[in-house]
Amino acid sequence: MKDTSSSSSNSSADPRQPSTARPYVPPRVSPQDLPMDYSGFLAMLFAVSGVMFRYKICSWIAMIFCAQSLANMKNIENDLKQISMAMMFAIMGVVTNYFGPARPSATKR
Amino acid sequence: MATETSSRRRIGKVTASVIYGGELLWCIFSIVSVVSLLIHELSRHPVYASSEFEGFDFEESDTEDELTHSFSSISFPTPLTTTQSHASDFHDGPHSPIPEPADPVPNPSPVEDEWDEDEFEGFPSQIHSEPMQEKSSSPEFSLHNSVSVEGMEEDKVGKKKILLRDCYVDIFCVWFLLCFGCNFFIGRNQNKNIAMAWAVKFATKDALFEKNFNLMGFGISDEIPLLLSDGYNIFKFYASGRKYCHGFLATLELKSRHDLISRWFTELILPKMETITFEVTMNDDAMDQVVFALVKKKLSKNILKDESDLQRYAGLALNAPSERKWVAKDLLVLSESKEVAGDIITDAVLDLVFGEKAFEKFGKWFVSMHFSDQHFGRSHKKVLIFKFELPDQNKMEDISRLMTLVPYYIDLVGRYKLSTRVRAKTEAARAKADQEAQRELQNARQGDILKKKLEKKRMIEETAAKLSVEAVNRKKFMDTVRRQSKKYPAKSVRY
Repeated sequence: MKDTSSSSSNSSADPRQPSTARPYVPPRVSPQDLPMDYSGFLAMLFAVSGVMFRYKICSWIAMIFCAQSLANMKNIENDLKQISMAMMFAIMGVVTNYFGPARPSATKR
Repeated sequence: MATETSSRRRIGKVTASVIYGGELLWCIFSIVSVVSLLIHELSRHPVYASSEFEGFDFEESDTEDELTHSFSSISFPTPLTTTQSHASDFHDGPHSPIPEPADPVPNPSPVEDEWDEDEFEGFPSQIHSEPMQEKSSSPEFSLHNSVSVEGMEEDKVGKKKILLRDCYVDIFCVWFLLCFGCNFFIGRNQNKNIAMAWAVKFATKDALFEKNFNLMGFGISDEIPLLLSDGYNIFKFYASGRKYCHGFLATLELKSRHDLISRWFTELILPKMETITFEVTMNDDAMDQVVFALVKKKLSKNILKDESDLQRYAGLALNAPSERKWVAKDLLVLSESKEVAGDIITDAVLDLVFGEKAFEKFGKWFVSMHFSDQHFGRSHKKVLIFKFELPDQNKMEDISRLMTLVPYYIDLVGRYKLSTRVRAKTEAARAKADQEAQRELQNARQGDILKKKLEKKRMIEETAAKLSVEAVNRKKFMDTVRRQSKKYPAKSVRY
């Protein structure tokens, strides 16, 4: 009797219920509700300005923001395209600024 | 026939691959365009280099003499031009008293090669003086040469100096990128260690949550890890299989240690606290009509602003009752009714965490506690939300009392039933809220209908205006035709 009472008390004290266990269902988040990737946007902005206006500092800042965007990337499918475009522009800006012709204002110095 | 079907299948496969690989094609196209732009930019470099020296026979020379001679010829044309201009004046201009030279002096200098001696007979003094000037100028010339060579060297050295100065930005950027890369790996591991320290303390075998929940982690099998990382600073833990609730999701929000820029920002400008948030989803039949919140006074404004159910049902803060002990002064109680607040804040909890003495020792990690059966913005309305700060990874024991609040309140709220008097109040409040919501919906619908009507009216007016414009134009045209016909009536031809 004592064993059954103790077992029943243990079972009543045990709050676990295997029958009610449900696997995790992740919530559906639409791409519009995702937070904006500001670092990726800034990377693209600086990369394009570095290529268009031949500013080395803009290309380097774009590289830094690309690195930050890559570090904070959560969704590969949505974010990788923008980051890759910004990265390509930044690399192109760095290469053209170093191996291409210098800016006219730089030569006049 | 078989060949036709096979060809059709191939075409279908190709089109399907093209449709599904549209994104791949776009990526390839972008890469090709970038590479072509790069090649174009680099190929322009030799064109610019040669264009700077157009018009000069600037052949590559190894000796300095040739270089100096070439530079001197470029940099000092003035003596040649002045003599040439003088010569031209004497050749073309009017007569002027000039002494006649005795004999022309032969000069081996290259200056005389430029004009004929016969044209300038009678000008020995000038010719004498010219070589003297040239001779006198030749040391200057040589000096200039040496100066030009030195200047060139100085230019070379100066250019080197300028290059070093320009490299400071580049060196700093490369150094920053290297630091960023190193910090990424170090920060990521630090965050992982903190999350694992919490999981080892509270979610492993014989730990608190293992005793309260049947299923832990994001899968049924043991191979799936306990923690799920959402980025490198957010970790999630899920547990299910308990009475009164479906389960809970714990979210550990840590500092962005992996991101150097965010790390500096949070440490220097805007400090961010590391928190763990438990979101417990209650069963529909388990939780009664309860809206309650216990928050730190400093953070009460933010929570009231974010949670609309608190604004609607529990907007006023409750004062401490006189007949019993209450929570610490740093805490604020928001509840739909005093009875509910008194039933939820039990003496056990006050002695454990929320009393004056206990709060000084264990309450500094507490942030907020929010129970609601009318929670908006989520799939389930009946939720219990606990938010605590996370201590250092070696001091996880400091929040063990706060962790015990989670299963305690699941049982308390699951068993809790309102009295009839309180239930009547809560039901009246909810009915009023439902009516207001329905009115808002009706207003919104009426607003949409009005907008559509206005748009239709505007479209009709626009079409009418267009038609009227066309009618006016037609009328004008007909008027002009009539006037012309009156002026120039068509003559009838009689046969």
